Amino acid sequence: MTSAGDGEALTAPFVVVGGGIAGVSCSEALAVLRPQDDVLLLSASALIKAATNVQPLTKYLVKFEVEEQAAAALTQRCPTVRVVQDAVVALQPGAGGQGVLVTEQGRRVAYGRLCVCSGARPKPVHADHPLVLTVRDTESVRALQTRLAGARRVLVVGNGGIATELVHELRGVEVVWVVRHDHISAAFVDAGAAEFLMPAATQEGAAEKAGQAAVEPVVKRMRFTEARAAEAGGGAGRGAALGPDWHERWELRGGQGGRQLTIEYGCEVQQLLVGDDLWPARAQLTNGKVIGADLVVSATGVTPNVEVFARGNPGLRLDAEDGGILVDEHMRSSVPGVFAAGDACTAGWAHAKHWFQMRLWTQARQMGAYAARCMAADAEAEGELPLQDFCFEMFTHVTRFFGHKVVLLGLHNGQKLPDGDWEMMLRAVKGKEYVKLVLQGGRVQGAVLIGDTDLEETFENLILDQVDVSHLGEDLLNPHVDVEDYFD
Amino acid sequence: MVVRDYNDELKYLERIDANSWRIKKGFQPNMNVEGVFYVNSALEKLMFDELRNACRPGMVGGFLPGMKQIANVAALPGIVHRSIGLPDVHSGYGFAIGNMAAFDMNDPLSIVSPGGVGFDINCGVRLLRTNLFEKDVQPVKEQLAQSMFDHIPVGVGSKGIIPMTATNLEEALEMGMDWSLREGYIWAEDKEHCEEYGRMLNADPSKVSMRAKKRGLPQLGTLGAGNHYAEIQVVDEIYDKWAASKMGIEDKGQVCVMIHSGSRGFGHQVATDALVQMEKAMKRDNIETNDRQLACARINSQEGQDYLKAMAAAANFAWVNRSSMTFLSRQAFAKQFHMTPDDLDMHVIYDVSHNIAKVEEHVVDGKQKTLLVHRKGSTRAFPPHHPLIPVDYQLTGQPVLIGGTMGTCSYVLTGTEQGMQQTFGSTCHGAGRALSRAKSRRNLEYTDVLNKLQQQGIAIRVASLKLVMEEAPESYKNVTDVVDTCHAAGISKKCIKLRPIAVIKG
Repeated sequence: MTSAGDGEALTAPFVVVGGGIAGVSCSEALAVLRPQDDVLLLSASALIKAATNVQPLTKYLVKFEVEEQAAAALTQRCPTVRVVQDAVVALQPGAGGQGVLVTEQGRRVAYGRLCVCSGARPKPVHADHPLVLTVRDTESVRALQTRLAGARRVLVVGNGGIATELVHELRGVEVVWVVRHDHISAAFVDAGAAEFLMPAATQEGAAEKAGQAAVEPVVKRMRFTEARAAEAGGGAGRGAALGPDWHERWELRGGQGGRQLTIEYGCEVQQLLVGDDLWPARAQLTNGKVIGADLVVSATGVTPNVEVFARGNPGLRLDAEDGGILVDEHMRSSVPGVFAAGDACTAGWAHAKHWFQMRLWTQARQMGAYAARCMAADAEAEGELPLQDFCFEMFTHVTRFFGHKVVLLGLHNGQKLPDGDWEMMLRAVKGKEYVKLVLQGGRVQGAVLIGDTDLEETFENLILDQVDVSHLGEDLLNPHVDVEDYFD
Repeated sequence: MVVRDYNDELKYLERIDANSWRIKKGFQPNMNVEGVFYVNSALEKLMFDELRNACRPGMVGGFLPGMKQIANVAALPGIVHRSIGLPDVHSGYGFAIGNMAAFDMNDPLSIVSPGGVGFDINCGVRLLRTNLFEKDVQPVKEQLAQSMFDHIPVGVGSKGIIPMTATNLEEALEMGMDWSLREGYIWAEDKEHCEEYGRMLNADPSKVSMRAKKRGLPQLGTLGAGNHYAEIQVVDEIYDKWAASKMGIEDKGQVCVMIHSGSRGFGHQVATDALVQMEKAMKRDNIETNDRQLACARINSQEGQDYLKAMAAAANFAWVNRSSMTFLSRQAFAKQFHMTPDDLDMHVIYDVSHNIAKVEEHVVDGKQKTLLVHRKGSTRAFPPHHPLIPVDYQLTGQPVLIGGTMGTCSYVLTGTEQGMQQTFGSTCHGAGRALSRAKSRRNLEYTDVLNKLQQQGIAIRVASLKLVMEEAPESYKNVTDVVDTCHAAGISKKCIKLRPIAVIKG
């Protein structure tokens, strides 16, 4: 890792900006695809995030862990990748696709092809308030850990993956969870699945109680090589996003013995009031309630982190709605030679029926690796641009909520389907499994699979095949039938 | 499905001998030939229980029992001889899995049906031998398993273990194992020990949709896709010492590698594309079937020919997959034991296809005919002296590889003359699962989640338990029962039993 800049001029055929999952996946793939070329990875923080222990569950559904590593670990794995700790302040695209990046430490980095993987930053709720903590990256979780000590009550705002996992992991503190929707984890699952998850959510350390946490290896799977290196570098708002199971590293324990969870549905924080004798922070909710807490934790979604690239580059097209760098089906931005991947980009191609963009580590990894293939092909004299990776034909994501494995496939919540035009098919065993299919015209469009259902591959194929299954009726989910064999 | 009382259904079923039953015409409408199924007493009970359950009042729709599916296939145009259910037969899309049916190529009305091949086209099994013994491998099996398919990057440089770009995918689809050989991943003699020498010559990649091709390309440049698996196995029993020695298997404890793979997503797409085309062709040509899932087209129609060419490309793709895994297995063993794969004698014993349709010559009612033989969940098992089996096995008959489900025993059988006559040289493919063994799923509980979902105003259907619990049959068809039945019926002969010591998921 290099850090002091001072007008140093660097040059590399491939430059990647961002040490998160997308940037690291892109760099790793470039190292494999173009062993003859150097890859320069610019990372604002000293630690990078790598996807490790990658386990394909099906062809398109991949489970992996996110390991925070020192940059040296990446270079050891991929000797052609050099990591420089520095932040970009300007992009100066040149003629013929090549260009230069100017960094905070005064470096000038000339690139042949550039991939912007600068991620996204949280949309803060009342971020300037001293008792509000926005959780998104490693540094902010560390801060949360410190501030939890002695806390009696924490207000958690947000209904996405990080908020869900955070609520599950908080120990020894009363938690009030403010969700905008009428059920928890709405960004991922439907109301039925939320109801299925509720018992696990409200129990104190449900997984631990069942004695599963200790036995089940997948629950404890965060590994760190050089954990303390982060203190050395990277300011606030700089670190890469958290990956799956980010919470495994930190014990998030408050000052009290038990945990009590209250959920405030269908509301948001309207304003933060001045504290009183009892609570240092008080939040007024849109449902009229005023809730006091020691700390307000915000985990409410993200905005692409692309301003430095857009500044002075009117040719770089951003998405009007979410502000990401618009990319085509080969991850190319509107500026020649500049690619983008992960949270920083907005998928600007015509999306396949069963795919949509969601700023998740799953897609960051897919886009990073695929962008590398496009960049490598683009760099070859008679390069044949790859066919778009089939992973963009269907949304897939696997995560763990409240100790359960959660698999999401296709239009799992009926996304993009007209109301009244689709139906659900359901199978559930309390505490064990929850299987929900989204059906339209007798064909499977999406699935939510919670628990160890072993149905991932079957429904992945049925969604992609669009074969008519109406003749099977509810037998499609008959618990006595191994439907995976039927479609062999 | 004709709804009749169970006792009335039984009138159409007649025992032929201890291991087979006849399904008479009339069991389903318009049967052109009779059906036959092979069982032992345990499997027989499962078959009849399944039928009895289907005859209960209110059991409309859903999965058809295996016997009904066999009979529906017997009603397809151009079928000759019999619609045959092998001992592992169980419910499948259109055709039951474990069904063999052959159609006369010279009958202009004869059909080809994607449901008779299956979605995972040329799903199959390959067995490699080694000269190692259990004691050599036991201590290092974890390391071996780890290194075998551990995120192998493909496409290093221009080449890849499996095709990476659209252009080399096209080549692989056309060339099958000749592609793997050209790229240097297999040995020339591997081809000798494959059905069709690992290449269907009628493959035509231009008949394969772009979507199928995209679906066939590897994800993120790695081979690992959760779709393949291999087992390190040891010889547990030798039933036919002479035939086993022809396969290079000398003693109990000898180590083999069994590779399970197919065309997976690629095959699924080829099958689905064909089903859509064939539904149209059926309307045009007025082809009627007993079951909508038996979509088919005349062999000589454009749709029929296109499917056969695309299916052949998918078959080639599956052989390339098994070849890639062969390469990786050899590499892993060589690295672990510091010997070349050649010195480890890692030859392919044989490679069989479980889901395929092929043109073959058979004798029907004393006359030689050219047939299109559909084998779904069924393995070709040609007898000694058959011209299409390699010279090494001319005297023993074709080796037939039967994989158990992951983690159970596997078998090697050999083809017999009796099988050639009775089943057109076809036998079982493995264990059969009609019903799930997962008992934990029986306590379905919905009330809470339903209440929540109903507030969204979306139509909801729920899975139900149609079977009366205490009478729910245990219907897992054990691989040993299945193999013993084939042996007892004489449609193939037991040779070797293998036991897994490590399972490696790709």
